[in-house]
Amino acid sequence: MNNLGFALEGAWKVLLAGLVLGAGLPLLFALGIRSLAYGAGGDASSATGRPAHPVGTVVAWILFVVVLLGVALGITFIVASGFGKELSFEHIFPTIVDK
Amino acid sequence: MTETTVILALVVITALGFDFTNGFHDTANAMATSIATNALRPKVAVALSGTLNLIGAFLSVEVALTVTNAVVKIQTSNGAPKESLTADGGEALLLIILAGLVGGIVWNLLTWLLGLPSSSSHALFGGLIGATIAGLGWAGVNWNGDGSKLDGVVGKVILPAVLSPVIAGVVAAVGTWLIYRVTVGVAARFTDNGFRWGQIGSASLVSLAHGTNDAQKTMGVITLALIATGKWTDTTNIPLWVKIACALAIALGTYLGGWRIIRTLGKGLVEIAPPQGLAAESSSAAVILASSHLGFALSTTHVATGSILGSGVGKPGAQVRWRVAGRMVAAWLITLPSAAVVGAVMWYLGDAIGGLGGAIVIFVVLLALAAFMYLRSRRTPVSHHNVNDEWEETPAAPRVPAGTGASS
Repeated sequence: MNNLGFALEGAWKVLLAGLVLGAGLPLLFALGIRSLAYGAGGDASSATGRPAHPVGTVVAWILFVVVLLGVALGITFIVASGFGKELSFEHIFPTIVDK
Repeated sequence: MTETTVILALVVITALGFDFTNGFHDTANAMATSIATNALRPKVAVALSGTLNLIGAFLSVEVALTVTNAVVKIQTSNGAPKESLTADGGEALLLIILAGLVGGIVWNLLTWLLGLPSSSSHALFGGLIGATIAGLGWAGVNWNGDGSKLDGVVGKVILPAVLSPVIAGVVAAVGTWLIYRVTVGVAARFTDNGFRWGQIGSASLVSLAHGTNDAQKTMGVITLALIATGKWTDTTNIPLWVKIACALAIALGTYLGGWRIIRTLGKGLVEIAPPQGLAAESSSAAVILASSHLGFALSTTHVATGSILGSGVGKPGAQVRWRVAGRMVAAWLITLPSAAVVGAVMWYLGDAIGGLGGAIVIFVVLLALAAFMYLRSRRTPVSHHNVNDEWEETPAAPRVPAGTGASS
């Protein structure tokens, strides 16, 4: 296989991972913001004069925690690869293994 | 002190100088969007980015000794320099490295003067390729690898440069579009505040990743020079002082901030709003991390620029200044060959004079060019005071028609 083949093979994987993490996490974050506004009620979202929905606030913070976990995964990845380890997704749940 | 030791010292100083330009050239990649949306005050942004680069540089203890192998053949696969180049005490190798580094720095400074975010990795590789062609001929360059993996100038430099901005742009465009869809009708006090925090977090991740990626390149180059001259023999470790010096150089460069480039990326391409900034930096962070996980070498500059463009394409009704984007792409295309030409010229100059004298002359030429470009930049200073001023499409410099001067 030539360089172009290797590059395209890597490229679609990067695109896929990029879409999941780079667009997916911001999407969750945006949903969290929307949920927060819904939870606050009042004029926070387009339908004016709505009552507050505590459940919205709870969902919002759950979403924010999921995003933070995603970021933590990113930092773990940087640190692990720096120390000659790598993240393995073999068991779905990420684990740190030797390279 | 022998002649070789003095040349080695020049190489180390020049390499740290390159690391420094690498830092301030790339501050924009992480922080341009946060500065443009006022999520962070300019000085705070560069301080945060510098600190994270410093930390990142120390985290990258992975041996980066074979960094030059991707493009030139001056090392064996285990990182030791080729024996034919160290026969005279390492001076042949040192001259190639020195000339290559000068090529990289000169090009980095020139693109900074023009406010263009070009790739520091391309500048370094370009300089090394040029110096190697001059010193060892065309066969000294690893053009295409051996076909067993992604390698060589084509595989490690050119193909990623073409693909990565497109990938980052697509991811950022999708992210921006989704964010705007989801938050339609939500009060601005929720969106603006929330997205500013998201932006700061994602930009920090990019800074950290940058420190781990880019500082090691210089560490590898310095260690190669040390091994070539017999000052260091271990090919599995990098001396601690090299690590500390490189980490400090890149962090200091980042803190100084390449304001001219920050301005172009943050204000010139797209008018960035906090949601776009979040989408762009998340895309950059995800693409950089995913690529290094898959061994897909790329330039943070190309990724960051692609992301910011994508965030302009993805926002309904946003204006993208394609003319500015076009200038950047032009700069990317000529970065590698231009740095190569400077690297080659420097090698010929150093080789013609020969020995210590040659190395000193190249170094003085570098200092003169750097001083010239710095002084030139003072004519239209860009600093943290005016980095966020309204962007005015600079019209072609008003030309005074020849001959009218005397008659009027």
